[in-house]
Amino acid sequence: MDVYQLRAGDPTPTPIHDLNPSTFPPVGLFWTVQLPEDSIEVQLGKGSASLQAWDVPILDYGNILNALFNGDNPPPVPGSVSFKVVWSGVNQRVKIRNTDPTFGGFAGEFVSDPLATSSSTFAEIGHERNGSFFP
Amino acid sequence: MTRRQFARSVAGTAVFGGALGAGLLKPGIAKERESFTPVPIPGGSPGLGGAFHVFAPNLLDPPDAEPITITNMNGFVGLAYISGMVTQTNIQTGETLRLPFLNSDMRFMQGVFRGADGEVHRGSFALV
Repeated sequence: MDVYQLRAGDPTPTPIHDLNPSTFPPVGLFWTVQLPEDSIEVQLGKGSASLQAWDVPILDYGNILNALFNGDNPPPVPGSVSFKVVWSGVNQRVKIRNTDPTFGGFAGEFVSDPLATSSSTFAEIGHERNGSFFP
Repeated sequence: MTRRQFARSVAGTAVFGGALGAGLLKPGIAKERESFTPVPIPGGSPGLGGAFHVFAPNLLDPPDAEPITITNMNGFVGLAYISGMVTQTNIQTGETLRLPFLNSDMRFMQGVFRGADGEVHRGSFALV
């Protein structure tokens, strides 16, 4: 998550926080943290899902370039985040079988949500299989 | 039909809160982790140099790029790039600030996966 600051007279937001749960460098499981089972609710038939968590430990790298490539300019500051994300509505359903050697290696059914709240630029939920579960 | 055809028809809502400052690292969730370790997906987004085990569907990569960060997984996934406002709280002073966040990549993954130990486990994860 990148948090910005708006400054008077400057139309470009300035990044002041880049929050993610990974230590630097993020070469393993990317920005991914385990949560309690009840943090996630999915009703794929209805096209809805929610993700909710409290006090998730994160590190604040200040900006994404520092989080990905530098790591210590500025040194990361520990903190925590709480959040709730809701997916709702059904626009279209598609079945994907992606065998592309770079971007693929999985199959699944996905639902896109309608542009109702306009707070996101892209969203999807689905069920998929990859790796050894990919037929 | 491909995911490219609905790439622009999306939605997601979010409420975020954050607390920043030295000494705030809370171990509660970490303590709940079990001894198994998920295995990252092979490869990564060419837009990030390929070194990081993540793709950004419809942002840096094609809309039908892999949204999950864990390999050998069979389960649910959700992804949203969300913009909105966050509340930042300084827990030492109690000061709060409302600040914008832009295109934050938020994901969940829930299901069974084959861990680094070779065994199949069940787990719930978020990309934050």
